[in-house]
Amino acid sequence: MEEIVIEARNLTKQFKQVLAVDNVSFRVKKGEIFGLLGPNGAGKSTTIRMLTALTKPTDGKAFINGYDVVKEAKMVRKNIGLVSEKIILYDRLTAMENLMFFAKLNNMNTKKAKKRCNKLLEMVEMTEWKNTRVSRFSTGMKQRINVIRSLLHDPEIIFLDEPTLGLDPQTTRSIREFIRELNEQGKTIVLTTHIMVEADNLSDRIAIIDHGKIAAMDTSKNLKRMIDNNETSIIDLDIPNITNPMLSTINELHCVEKVFNKNSEEIRIYMNCDDPLEILITLLKENNIPVKGIKTVEPTLEDVFIKLTGHEMRDNPGKQAENRFENRRIR
Amino acid sequence: MKYALFIAVKDLIYFFRSRFALIAFIIMPVFMMLMTGYMFPKMQSNKNMSIVVFSHDKGFVNMIRDSEVEGFTFVESEKELREYLIEEKADAGMIVPENFLKSVLVNKEVAVKIIPSPSNPQMAMSASQGVMTTLGSSLGGSKSQIEVKLENPSGGEFNYYSFMAPGIMAMVAIMSVVNGLAAAITMEKEKGTMDGIMTTPIPRSSIIIGKVLSQTTRGLLQAIVILLLAIFLFGVSIEGSLILTFFLLILGIFSFIGIGIIITAGAPDQESSQMILTSITFPMLFLSGVFFPVEQMPTFMQYLSKAFPLTFAADALRKVMIMGASLSSIRVDVIALTIFAVVTLLLAVPLFSRLTTT
Repeated sequence: MEEIVIEARNLTKQFKQVLAVDNVSFRVKKGEIFGLLGPNGAGKSTTIRMLTALTKPTDGKAFINGYDVVKEAKMVRKNIGLVSEKIILYDRLTAMENLMFFAKLNNMNTKKAKKRCNKLLEMVEMTEWKNTRVSRFSTGMKQRINVIRSLLHDPEIIFLDEPTLGLDPQTTRSIREFIRELNEQGKTIVLTTHIMVEADNLSDRIAIIDHGKIAAMDTSKNLKRMIDNNETSIIDLDIPNITNPMLSTINELHCVEKVFNKNSEEIRIYMNCDDPLEILITLLKENNIPVKGIKTVEPTLEDVFIKLTGHEMRDNPGKQAENRFENRRIR
Repeated sequence: MKYALFIAVKDLIYFFRSRFALIAFIIMPVFMMLMTGYMFPKMQSNKNMSIVVFSHDKGFVNMIRDSEVEGFTFVESEKELREYLIEEKADAGMIVPENFLKSVLVNKEVAVKIIPSPSNPQMAMSASQGVMTTLGSSLGGSKSQIEVKLENPSGGEFNYYSFMAPGIMAMVAIMSVVNGLAAAITMEKEKGTMDGIMTTPIPRSSIIIGKVLSQTTRGLLQAIVILLLAIFLFGVSIEGSLILTFFLLILGIFSFIGIGIIITAGAPDQESSQMILTSITFPMLFLSGVFFPVEQMPTFMQYLSKAFPLTFAADALRKVMIMGASLSSIRVDVIALTIFAVVTLLLAVPLFSRLTTT
């Protein structure tokens, strides 16, 4: 039997005007990487804050290793590490001073804390910088120290809220590798991200969250199968000068589900019929639409997201798919 | 020019959108007006002034008693005279030298010393004039040879700054601690480091107690700087015990810090907490007797001044530093400060813990 280490039961958080998290339930198994994927403002961070006992839920319950996040917050805190969106380090202290401070708050004695800090610094290759003030670090270096800060007391469960936000590609890669390493050591990881690829590559299971609700929750493979099973084909068209009449012509075709502009020269079409390519090519010829390229694509998590929520994933979840002159996908 | 206008309009809109800023914006001038309007009272008449006298010349004592001059109280020693002033039983003190009457009779120059009260040094100025007239009339016209000297209780020429220094010291310590605390807490909240502390399994109260300790240390260091400046630049001396002085400073800080915590915990952001704090500390500056003696204010403002712990802290510090008062003679101030400290801290610590977890 698999051990459940995190359980959210109907978690709800109501701020003055906004229902940030709406009746969210899920379970995370020991040793799993669980991804919360959704646009900014979808309620990911609030969910994390409730699970880490930083915010009390308006309704519902949550348990970490069986401890109630409201009633047994102290025990919860002993079991978790948090890497939040903001870097939790003091600028004017050195890396080592920062780590030692948090180690001591975690009730470690000086000797043990020093040993642990040095070991962690080595793991992220920051040993030579340990006596430098954090203010002189690049964002990437800060984030590396920030991540090991959450590991000082060797927690079983680690929450990472947008751990690669604002980082250069190289650091992003190394942070992702480090997350995977931690997972291999047996840590359970909850990761929030608005980056599809990150969720896709790292997570064992993904919960797609939008407007405070979980829209779907499964492995990446199964989520993508939602599209395959529905026999939806995804086709990218390369058209030099896209005009609105062209779009409406395509849209009016009986088996087209949705049409999106990816950019000024590319559109993506979701079709549901037996031979979509042939139908499409016939249509394009009949209407004299000049096409430079045409290809079918494998579904990505973004396609799943669009399918589930009816809009693209972007910073403002309220904006609907009509505003589509932006491609937020990161390859 | 038109861009400058855009910027100005934006700034004004931005400012008026903050509710707290708006409240402070209205309260501040109202307070200013009230304060300056009532602060400087009509000159008090000398008639109801009471002066405590220690006379080395017994003949002088008998003479004044016989002629039934009002307002003089006689004591047996300089120490007793100080006690009178510390406990506010007299508005000023007077020391009459030996052979005073004899000198007056032979028209020899002679001086009486006027010792100001620590809570109201301004009174000493009117006192010296009053004494001049009274002596003149009772001694029959030979007043020209009598000199009235204003002196510090510790001797030396009267130095008004030495009466202000203790209050300023208390004020700076208290204000810097409370402002510093507010800044330190809101900074941690805004930068997100507070979350880091809060995800460690420490009790919530440790956070606030730790902050209070660091800020108190800072406030005391600042007070020491002022003290050193006062001593070396302005020749202020400390009569009382240094330990008692620092005890009072710490007590003063603790008496006000709870109010600071409550405001900081409740305010939505740093700007608002700063605004609320300012609208409390600003009137406090004027009402607490640091710059203007409380006794000179109209009665209702004297009552209002009791709402600020700084009033008691400044008063006690003045008495200790200038007059060398002992703990027992400033017990009223100490009790008031303790009550302030205990009540506000008892409210503040749990409130802080609750507000930071929602």
